[in-house]
Amino acid sequence: MAAAPSLLQVSPSDPELVQRVRQGDLDAYALLMTRYRLRFGRYAYHLLGNESDAEEALQDAFTLAYRSLERCRHPERFAAWLFRILVNRCRTLATRRGRHEARRAPLEAADTVGVAHPAERGMHREEIHRGLARLAPEQREAFLLKYVEELSYEEMAELTGAGESALKMRVKRACERLRDLLSESYAT
Amino acid sequence: MRPDDDLDSGDREFLERIAAPLREPVALSDRVERKVLARLRTGAGPVPRAPYRPLIAAAAAAGIAAVFAIGVLVGRRTAGPAVAERGPRTIEFVLRTTADSAVTLVGDFNDWDPHATPLHPGAGGVWTATVPLHPGRYRYTFIVDGSWRRDPAAPRALEDDFGTPTSVITVAQR
Repeated sequence: MAAAPSLLQVSPSDPELVQRVRQGDLDAYALLMTRYRLRFGRYAYHLLGNESDAEEALQDAFTLAYRSLERCRHPERFAAWLFRILVNRCRTLATRRGRHEARRAPLEAADTVGVAHPAERGMHREEIHRGLARLAPEQREAFLLKYVEELSYEEMAELTGAGESALKMRVKRACERLRDLLSESYAT
Repeated sequence: MRPDDDLDSGDREFLERIAAPLREPVALSDRVERKVLARLRTGAGPVPRAPYRPLIAAAAAAGIAAVFAIGVLVGRRTAGPAVAERGPRTIEFVLRTTADSAVTLVGDFNDWDPHATPLHPGAGGVWTATVPLHPGRYRYTFIVDGSWRRDPAAPRALEDDFGTPTSVITVAQR
């Protein structure tokens, strides 16, 4: 018996889209960008602290990735490859903007799609952003990669070039600093 | 998350509590895609770079490492001068090191891929790699036996703010 046609439309995989892009299909690249704007926009926004810079970082990363797609040797790992480009673009932008100026509007405009309001979790995101803004750039980066993007220290080391022990120290320092800055909110 | 750090349970709980709201998706505008597509369709430059400056041909006579910029145009064709001037230049990266196993080069030009540009060992512990680069500013670093090592013969990149050793090279327009 012939299988009934599925009513579900399966999204093309990353390797399929990469293959189509390599054949000149820009629409396929638009699909990839939408997929990873939603997934990686969070990192850029939290690291850079405002929507405008986050969008610029994503645009640069997407453009660079497109132009060097031939060098993406493992299309099944397109996400990791793109994320590495984005992390470096964020570093460059953060440095260009200046570590203090970069976070001029902590909760500017960007919408969240989460189901629970941050306040329900016991700590407002606005307060957290203010705390993040006062971390040293390398501490903010390490905290976001570890606790928000949930990478292992091994993955972080490969991504940033810092040693695992240095990264652990950055996270620990971030923790201490955030605890100082957010102590009122974190009344235990 | 697996506890692979040196934090105590109180610190981990605290960081988890901060991280939870930050893990919610942030929906940036789809103008990101629209702008990129417009940029790609018009062939505009990929990334805003610093204005072209004179070639930094830093070579350390007595240092551990050196970067030599070799002013050789590759891919020269019969196209007009404007095209030729914008073509890539061949840049040779050179590192003197006692590395045992592997030296690679990562930077803005190869998407920071640690496997993309291996250096080749030569006599006297000199490792080299040749990369075609268009005029512009690039950050890069060497990876020596798994550790990042900034090129001591080249200017330090401002992105050292992030605590990792990177250098910068500016390739001049001919």
